Amino acid sequence: MRAETPSAKTLVLDVPDWPGHAAGQHVDIRLTAEDGYQAQRSYSIASAPESRALELTVERIDEGEVSPYLTEEAQVDDQFELRGPIGGYFVWRARYEEPLLLVAGGSGLVPLMAMLRHRRAAGGAADARLLLSARSLEDVLYRDELGVLDSVQVGITLTRGAAPPGWEGWTRRIDRDMLLEVGPEPERRPRVYVCGPTPFVEEAARLLVELGHEPTGVHTERFGPTGG
Amino acid sequence: MEAGTLHTDGNEAAGILQQIFVAEVTAAGRVCQSCRQDHPIGAHRLYHGAGLVLRCPNCGDLAACITVRPDSNVISLHGTWSLARSE
Repeated sequence: MRAETPSAKTLVLDVPDWPGHAAGQHVDIRLTAEDGYQAQRSYSIASAPESRALELTVERIDEGEVSPYLTEEAQVDDQFELRGPIGGYFVWRARYEEPLLLVAGGSGLVPLMAMLRHRRAAGGAADARLLLSARSLEDVLYRDELGVLDSVQVGITLTRGAAPPGWEGWTRRIDRDMLLEVGPEPERRPRVYVCGPTPFVEEAARLLVELGHEPTGVHTERFGPTGG
Repeated sequence: MEAGTLHTDGNEAAGILQQIFVAEVTAAGRVCQSCRQDHPIGAHRLYHGAGLVLRCPNCGDLAACITVRPDSNVISLHGTWSLARSE
């Protein structure tokens, strides 16, 4: 287990007979209490398909039923009931040649990070850009890794509180001008992946289509208040 | 509460749909019976209640209702689902 931010941890899982996954897919984890009560949640896979270990990054939702357990109580060598890999719509493969635009709200970065890790591991040559919206710098997942991603243009905006000294990124909610600056131009028909809380995804997708991106090229994945 | 905060999307139902169809179907398209638009199942809105309800992302008309039971899952489909399998 690896702490990523004060509220998020990466769980490294050893899954017998794991069939392999595609970047962007998730797993469903089911916990069963001693009285038989069950709770199930979906978690995005953070690791590249090329990675030997299966990694999930879980953000703690304080009032949640599953994430507090996974981030606070789970111990090394614990066993979980896991189903996956799951999903086929929100998937990116390194052989795709179109420019790639990733837009993440908070822990919506997790499946997009799997895509960037896949791109690096597979030697994908597609133009890749990432726009990440986070509350504060300490909430930014994979901060060190984002700083050294090869040939990926990374833009970060911090939406809550004062920016740290020397901060050169944005400090506002995502808007039209920010997306214009990140690019690429809609005429280049990028494949776009947007992941985050529902209101964030709705707004980002609306702005992208307004800018002229093909609605069918904008792939979305939302997580909601029922999460956790 | 805003309507936009109540739903997620079809990606979250991928697991239960995979159990029912014994295949990945969120990349498959569905033509809405009301607005005739074609959207992948993963892009549909998903509402949580007593069961799960999938709705057209354009007009909000019903796409599917899924009832989750301890021993089985029951789905009723609406509109035209075009299920294609690749790879």
